[in-house]
Amino acid sequence: MTPRVETHYAVLGIGPRATPEQVDRAYRHAAGLYDEEALATYSLLDSEERQQARARVEAAYVVLRDAGRRREYDLSLGMAETVASLVPSPPVVDAPARPPLVVLPDPVTGPDLKRFRESRGIPLREIAAASKVGVRFLEYIESERLDALPAPVYLRGFVQEYARVVGLDPRPTAQSYLARVAGGR
Amino acid sequence: MSGAVALALPRPSRRQIWSIGGGKGGIGKSLLAASLGWQLARLGKRVVLVDADLGGANLHTCLGIPAPSRTLGDFILRRVERIEDVMVETPFPRLRLISGASDVLGAANINYQQKVRVLNRLRSLDVDIVLLDLGAGTANNIIDFFLISDVSLLAVVPEPTSIENGYRFIKSALYRRLRAAAPTAAVRDVIDAALDQKNAQGIRTPLDLLAAVEREDAAAVTRLRREMTEFHPRFVVNQVRSPADIAIGHQLVTACARHLGVRASYAGFVHYDDAVWRAVRQRQLFVARDPDGVPAHEIRHIARTLVEGETMALAW
Repeated sequence: MTPRVETHYAVLGIGPRATPEQVDRAYRHAAGLYDEEALATYSLLDSEERQQARARVEAAYVVLRDAGRRREYDLSLGMAETVASLVPSPPVVDAPARPPLVVLPDPVTGPDLKRFRESRGIPLREIAAASKVGVRFLEYIESERLDALPAPVYLRGFVQEYARVVGLDPRPTAQSYLARVAGGR
Repeated sequence: MSGAVALALPRPSRRQIWSIGGGKGGIGKSLLAASLGWQLARLGKRVVLVDADLGGANLHTCLGIPAPSRTLGDFILRRVERIEDVMVETPFPRLRLISGASDVLGAANINYQQKVRVLNRLRSLDVDIVLLDLGAGTANNIIDFFLISDVSLLAVVPEPTSIENGYRFIKSALYRRLRAAAPTAAVRDVIDAALDQKNAQGIRTPLDLLAAVEREDAAAVTRLRREMTEFHPRFVVNQVRSPADIAIGHQLVTACARHLGVRASYAGFVHYDDAVWRAVRQRQLFVARDPDGVPAHEIRHIARTLVEGETMALAW
């Protein structure tokens, strides 16, 4: 059913050039998929199969999250491409490191940003960690709390950072969002 | 079990057939169909909604209009000659409806020739998108409409029963497609055996099935694998209440790839909203009543995503 030998990268569904943040995100996705309570696998796998899958995910993450162990592992692979699986066309394995940046239709609202972020499974604290913009401000951006948002010159930078982390095109996203909230101030 | 592939007719470049299936009843599939049709029409597409739930048609109620006097059943039973004669206007520009056939006894079991006639006529309609609201369950009629569609949507809600039925639907559809492509009787026998969940060969998933076919007929596997890559269901997760519910769509896509060998994608999600059900009780289309509400925005997003041929990929 599952391929006989899978690299740690294949187990997490990422390419060998994945960044540490991408490894973390892929791990959270895979761990959620094989959780004992996971709706997506409960009727596909029995408890033992889920447990085995979880163990593979944990084993992969322990190596790939640690730069030193990851380098050693890469060397042991000879950085060869991932092992071909039985799956006819795996959508995630070997995918490019990142999908192209998305431009949301004008006008971009706070709820639009939130919806897009949630659809990508990215928590606010991750954006905060990557962008150094506080979670509170990110929440204000999403809820369009005009009274609490900073001056446009700062806000533009915040929205661009937010966009960059979630995979939106930063410049048009910030431009559209700012134009919209400027009308409400 | 015959004819699933024979139904795949030549596809004109612009006119498309979309379908929404779901395996399980009561998950808001008809509402999704009605509101998706409405949003597509707002995007400028000429849309005809077809209530293909031949046993329990109620799409007209979702649209807030009385039951049309002529239905798909009249066309199937040749009470009218042209399918256009059973197509009615809705209160919404560019959105029309072909109502289901719940009033016609036996219509839920239309035969193969009738099905081909319906599909041919649907493809010849002068519209941009024919959107089929499929009934619940995994009957061959439903599966065939799903398989011939250019865009095959599978609605689920974040509940174990719905997701289990969703997988069952995918397996039934895929096996029907594979069976129609099977080159020999021996391969068909393996596929038939796989349809029984408790089969002696221990085939639980399509990947198990490929392995079993390979033992029987190595050459046939290449062909079946190609069929599998062309089978592309798209999930819509309805009635989500939390980010964890939204993530289920991504998990389903990964689970399909890794454990079923099926290349699915995630078309989008719609939040649970009490206002939706209040609108239904008042026989109003909720997206039209509250076009700025969260569900309306989310359905617009799904419509746009599908029209532009994109999916909600994970960010890595």
